[in-house]
Amino acid sequence: MAAPDTAPPTLATEDVVLDAQGLVREYGPVVAVAGIDLTLGPGEFLTVFGPNGAGKSSLLGLLAGSMRPTLGRVSVRGQQLDFGDVSWRRRIGVLSHRGFLYHDLTVTENLRFFGRLFELTDLDRRIPERLAHVGLSDRAGFKVGQLSHGMKQRLALARALLHDPDLVLLDEPFTGLDPSAAAVLRKVLVGLKDGQRTVVMVTHNLGEGLALATRVAIQARGRFVWQGGRDEIDTDSFERFYHEAVEGRR
Amino acid sequence: MSYLRQVQAIVWKDLLLEFRTKERLVAMGAFAVLSAVLFNYAVDRTAVRPQDIAAGLIWMTIVFGGLLGVGRTFHLEAQDGAFEGILMSPAPKDAVFLGKTLANFILLYVVSLLVVAVFMLFFGLELGASPAVLALVLCLGVLGFVSLGTLFAAVSSGTRMGETLLPILVFPLLVPMVIFGTGATGRLLASRPVAEVVGDIRMLGAFAVMALAAGALLFRFVVED
Amino acid sequence: MSVSGLRKGGVTLTALGLIGLVVIYWLSFFWVSTEIRQGIVQRIFYVHVPAAWTTGLAFGIAALTSAMYLWLRDERLDRAAVSAAEGGMVFGAIMLTTGPLWGKIAWGTYWTWEPRLTLTLLLWFIFLGYFMVRSATDNPEKGKRFAAVVAIVGALDIPFIHLSVIWFRSLHPAPVVIKPEGPSLPGDMLTLLLASFAVFTVLFFGLFLLRYALETVRVELDARAREVAA
Repeated sequence: MAAPDTAPPTLATEDVVLDAQGLVREYGPVVAVAGIDLTLGPGEFLTVFGPNGAGKSSLLGLLAGSMRPTLGRVSVRGQQLDFGDVSWRRRIGVLSHRGFLYHDLTVTENLRFFGRLFELTDLDRRIPERLAHVGLSDRAGFKVGQLSHGMKQRLALARALLHDPDLVLLDEPFTGLDPSAAAVLRKVLVGLKDGQRTVVMVTHNLGEGLALATRVAIQARGRFVWQGGRDEIDTDSFERFYHEAVEGRR
Repeated sequence: MSYLRQVQAIVWKDLLLEFRTKERLVAMGAFAVLSAVLFNYAVDRTAVRPQDIAAGLIWMTIVFGGLLGVGRTFHLEAQDGAFEGILMSPAPKDAVFLGKTLANFILLYVVSLLVVAVFMLFFGLELGASPAVLALVLCLGVLGFVSLGTLFAAVSSGTRMGETLLPILVFPLLVPMVIFGTGATGRLLASRPVAEVVGDIRMLGAFAVMALAAGALLFRFVVED
Repeated sequence: MSVSGLRKGGVTLTALGLIGLVVIYWLSFFWVSTEIRQGIVQRIFYVHVPAAWTTGLAFGIAALTSAMYLWLRDERLDRAAVSAAEGGMVFGAIMLTTGPLWGKIAWGTYWTWEPRLTLTLLLWFIFLGYFMVRSATDNPEKGKRFAAVVAIVGALDIPFIHLSVIWFRSLHPAPVVIKPEGPSLPGDMLTLLLASFAVFTVLFFGLFLLRYALETVRVELDARAREVAA
């Protein structure tokens, strides 16, 4: 933690959860992320829209610290993502369209395993509590392979939030969910906006993305071509606005 | 302390998964028995005495059968992206490597004891005068093998060629293990004095330590993205 | 150093090496005295032994620069590693073909499990794996990391391979240059051997610089293609 007197005058350190500067990621000759700056405080929910190949998943990988940036840096609550000391990983939770779950282990065993990796000690209390929160208490002993897709996604969310991260990263969480499962997931995601956490979601589902966001960015060709507050957006004309932004007409 | 708990969590998870699916254990066990059957017909037992070549056959069976199991180390991990979840946890990469290696070691050590038992049974061999020393030789050899095997299974599963690449990468590196392992095993099966194999055991131990340390040190460069 | 500088250095050293090679060949055919027991075939010695030395040197450089690449992530170190490894493959192939040719006449068999021959064969295959992993990944940066890991583990394994294959015993002549009592080779043979060491080393570094320049040009070409595409 930075001492209070070294904090920048305009923005107190404790008000910044995620700070990314000059992020660039190249895969050999391919540039996936071509210079992105991002600062988010607690309670903010940023949705990043963009077409396939815009580099959204790479951006999320960089913010999650699962990828090394070619250039630039990311810090979470003032702690810079560095690959020697990885204690910052405790501050980040990731949910993708893949569950990060073992299908041959039970619901509880999966949470217990990841909980132990995150060095949590109160798992006997924490796991039932979190299962109740996502409505899976009666499935605790089931193997993950036996769960429906919607239940699996809720379990994946419980897994991502098990260690109470400050920063939650969501990668296309609605992919493959039927409307009722999507509604349940949306309810849990709304619960994330508790004023403490910061959420970044990448998606190309415009409806779900706008419903949850407090801030919006449109990514194309590795850059943010537009970003602003949710209140700057007119929901009805957003689709046209989005296409124009992606095609570079704005 | 928390480091050991993380290693232990991975070992526990891998063994539990193996206990549930039994994929690798059954594959390796069946491979061992069937290899012994094939060797019986491939080697003319009226020309060569089984006890003269048993040590070599045992180690070749462990190496080939072991590759079969170790090569699949990261398959269940890839199923639902779970390994990404591990990599995004605060567990150090060397702890992840040690956990996976230790789980592989336990599996393959069981298989190697089975291999020896099968050869005893099929070829009417004696265990020799010091079975405990033989168990130690197998233990050190298998530890070196799974260390390199796990590291390069991670490498090969990150390439387009997948498991095809694994033997090409590890066979040249395994020569010392095969030479010292078969040397010691052959003499122990022939009930030679233990003093004759002390040198081999030392080398096997040093090889295992080198392989384990190299894997723990280099694994992070293999799994980072 | 600029690409043209590298190329100039590479061409100069390679030319020097090739001229030296002609001289070595001439000397080994017409000047040096014939070894009494093995006769004329022993003259392959002046190719075989320096090729073995150069192979070791090349793979040593490749392993060292690989380790430094993983540490510092400087592209130039990876370029040096791949250039050295390729040189090692070439000189290793020379060592592995001249060895059996000599062996057939000297020992009556093409292949023996002689320790240094075996070691070079295994090294050659370790670096074959190096090139295979390098080209089998979608992300070239990942291929570089994987290859570096192969080279480093290979280098760590070498002492073990060396000890184990010696333990397996050999027919090979014992070292003739570096030993405590001083060299046991007659004067003119020693002179020619040391000269051929020097020539092979110069030739290796010439080829190394050319290969390094080529790799640099390739990277620049990639970058330019990317700019055109963007």
